[in-house]
Amino acid sequence: MKWKHHVFAGTLLFLFVAACGENTGTQGTTGEIPEGAVMAPMFEVDPMWPKPLPNHWVLGSAIGVSVDSQDHIWIIHRGNGNARTELGAAQDPPTGECCLPAPNIIEYDQEGNLLHSWGGPGDGYDWPTSNHGIGVDPMDNLWIGGNGGNDAHILVFAQDGTFLKQFGKPGARRAPRFDEENPSYVGNSKDTENFGRVAKISFDAAANEAYIADGYLNKRVAVIDIETGEFKRYWGAYGNEPDDANLGRYNPDEPLVKQFRTPVHAAEPSNDGFVYVCDRPNNRIQVFQKDGTYVMEKVIAKNTLGDGSTWDIAFSKDAEQKFLYLADGKNMKVYVILRETMEILTSFGDGGRQPGQFFAVHSIATDSKGNIYTTETYEGKRVQKFVYKGLGPVKDKDQGVVWPVATN
Amino acid sequence: MVLEMIRSGGTPGLLIVLFCLTMVGSTTGVFAHDIPNDITIQVYVKPEGQRLKLLVRVPLNAMRDMSFPLLGPGYLDLAQADAELRNAAILWIGDEIKLFEDGVRLPNPNVVAVRASIPSDPSFRRYEDALSHIIGPRLPDRTQLFWQQALLDVLFEIPIQSDQADYMIDPGLERLGLRVVTVLRFLPPGKDECVYEYVGSPGTVPLDPHWYQAALRFSALGFTHILDGFDHLLFLLCLVIPFRQIRALIAVVTAFTVAHSITLIASAFELAPDTLWFPPLVETLIAASIVYMALENIIGAQLHRRWLITFGFGLIHGFGFSFALRETLQFGGTHLLTSLLAFNVGVELGQILVLLLLIPALALLYRFGVRERMATITLSVLVAHTGWHWMTNRAAVLSQYDMVWPTLDLSLLLSATGWLLLIMALAGLSWWALGMRRQVKSAD
Repeated sequence: MKWKHHVFAGTLLFLFVAACGENTGTQGTTGEIPEGAVMAPMFEVDPMWPKPLPNHWVLGSAIGVSVDSQDHIWIIHRGNGNARTELGAAQDPPTGECCLPAPNIIEYDQEGNLLHSWGGPGDGYDWPTSNHGIGVDPMDNLWIGGNGGNDAHILVFAQDGTFLKQFGKPGARRAPRFDEENPSYVGNSKDTENFGRVAKISFDAAANEAYIADGYLNKRVAVIDIETGEFKRYWGAYGNEPDDANLGRYNPDEPLVKQFRTPVHAAEPSNDGFVYVCDRPNNRIQVFQKDGTYVMEKVIAKNTLGDGSTWDIAFSKDAEQKFLYLADGKNMKVYVILRETMEILTSFGDGGRQPGQFFAVHSIATDSKGNIYTTETYEGKRVQKFVYKGLGPVKDKDQGVVWPVATN
Repeated sequence: MVLEMIRSGGTPGLLIVLFCLTMVGSTTGVFAHDIPNDITIQVYVKPEGQRLKLLVRVPLNAMRDMSFPLLGPGYLDLAQADAELRNAAILWIGDEIKLFEDGVRLPNPNVVAVRASIPSDPSFRRYEDALSHIIGPRLPDRTQLFWQQALLDVLFEIPIQSDQADYMIDPGLERLGLRVVTVLRFLPPGKDECVYEYVGSPGTVPLDPHWYQAALRFSALGFTHILDGFDHLLFLLCLVIPFRQIRALIAVVTAFTVAHSITLIASAFELAPDTLWFPPLVETLIAASIVYMALENIIGAQLHRRWLITFGFGLIHGFGFSFALRETLQFGGTHLLTSLLAFNVGVELGQILVLLLLIPALALLYRFGVRERMATITLSVLVAHTGWHWMTNRAAVLSQYDMVWPTLDLSLLLSATGWLLLIMALAGLSWWALGMRRQVKSAD
């Protein structure tokens, strides 16, 4: 009776397979993780983000990025394309069909679609001579700094481009005997009405305060009221009273100086009451409490000269903000740092023009899903997205280009 | 007085009055006209005792054609805004949301409280925080909140008979934006929270369905899905064309049913690849299956083996069905397996209906003297032509995806093991079935 053999064999095979199947479910799909492996957030560049701009628009030096409460991504750029090689269509008469400078402020959605674009000089406010940084406050308003010679102020706009407020006045840092032919400026890190070439603005929603990385001429962190712009406090390196004296060039073999060097490039408050300050040419991050009390400092890539290594900071999106991401526009990488100890876990990126590479990575921000957005200045002139892939074991201190791989 | 002005001034007077009214109106507020592109709505539904509380958060700029009082460059005049916020809540939300208790439509929700909130306000992460926020004090009047960036939070209440009843909702908020994403949380007393996230409107859905409600809903979904799925219908047509006897058809249709059920259920339990290229691959293979079947009919099908090839293609069609279920499976509540099985039943019923129509239609064709072989070839050629175009179009879409071979490592082997075991189990079943079939045949 052959069919009985079939039944018997088929049943046996099925039972055997079912029994084996019981155990495979528990092994999961992550593969073996070596014991004691250090876990860090992993990323892959998204080469399809954002989508191309319309209207033959090109970006200039992209000098700030921030994410709003709707997970929309805002960037600011300078529109400073090369007239001869990039902005032919903008010349009078046009020298070619392409290209035109995109409006200074651009809003993207999560898919990389262009939503809004606006910016530039207008009535009722003084557009910076060199815009620098864009921050989204708890009201979803946009704050813009400026590091041009004359810039000593901050502008606040609603998301549709309506001008709301200006704090400080341009020209406030002009030297006493100012000459238009040979302009000169003097920092005043104790000024409680104006700034000195603001690099970045960040926010503490609970306290209704804005933290100003002030900046390219002044040498301080300033804290102001979000609504009124009233100065609340400021401090220099190590929580000292800021001093605008010229410190000369950074020398990695000399002891760390007691003041910030310009630019003070970012001042980012964390959820647990600390403020992380990028003292860029000194290649360090200094950590303070919110009242300016010094806590600690961490030097990154000590031997970096010129522009320095500590450009901008963003935090991971978990409630504890366990990780800190540092953009280094001189060494062309992003570091992933364990915030509790300030230990560098890994880094990604490399110099170049392909997706995942950097040319002067200048600004960094994260969205609610933990994805990272970076902008590049000088000739970089772009914004990139790095997709958060979850926590993974750190295999390399320097991962290089985090090119996307097929996922299963 | 105005009327007298109009009467004495005639039409010019009327125009002047209207112009003045327009000018007055334009300085006190702003009308929101643009339809926002992309908005997210958050909803909590909580029956409690004799009242049902409904908390809703929407962007204020989705409340179109309202005249919100403003200050300065466009800040919401919080001291004066309450009345218009309430009007907006009633007009755009309260009048649209429909709730049902045990199948009976409840009255429109009453607005209990409204609040304008700043965009970064985190209250709606938890029900209790959202409730305290809405009934608590409003933002200080001096808050400079640009109106287009504000959020509107509303607390509605509806009188109910019992908080243990069965509730259904038709949210009706899809008109608030071009693309509306809603996160809806239902908090039945004494049970776990049910969370739904959907785009647009899901229609009327039960908030915590019983198994039979889930079964009914998904049977209907399966039934309508097969009837709307032209590629599946064409495949069925290909299957049926050469057969003259229902008995022979049963094995083929059963094989198709079993196969697509397997992959449909496997997909629902996340055993299918979640890569971007997978859906276009499945769509391409479905079209290819139609072409194959049609060609087999033309060449001359080995009908006694057809059930086997149908089984193989059925596995692919099952993945295709699962894409339709992705967003809607959440509305089966905790009854995942019931919903899946019911969906399958619906698909089968739809198939049976199609076959009940097709087979007599074909029989009628042959009765009117059309030669069977010629009819088979002609119909199959027409189907093959359509299938071919679908296949090439879908293959073009598929070719845009970058498929990279996965790294051959332990994690890949582990993930492949599950599929390997499933295939072996199916092989065992098939071997058993073949044996049974041979036995039945030899007995005949």
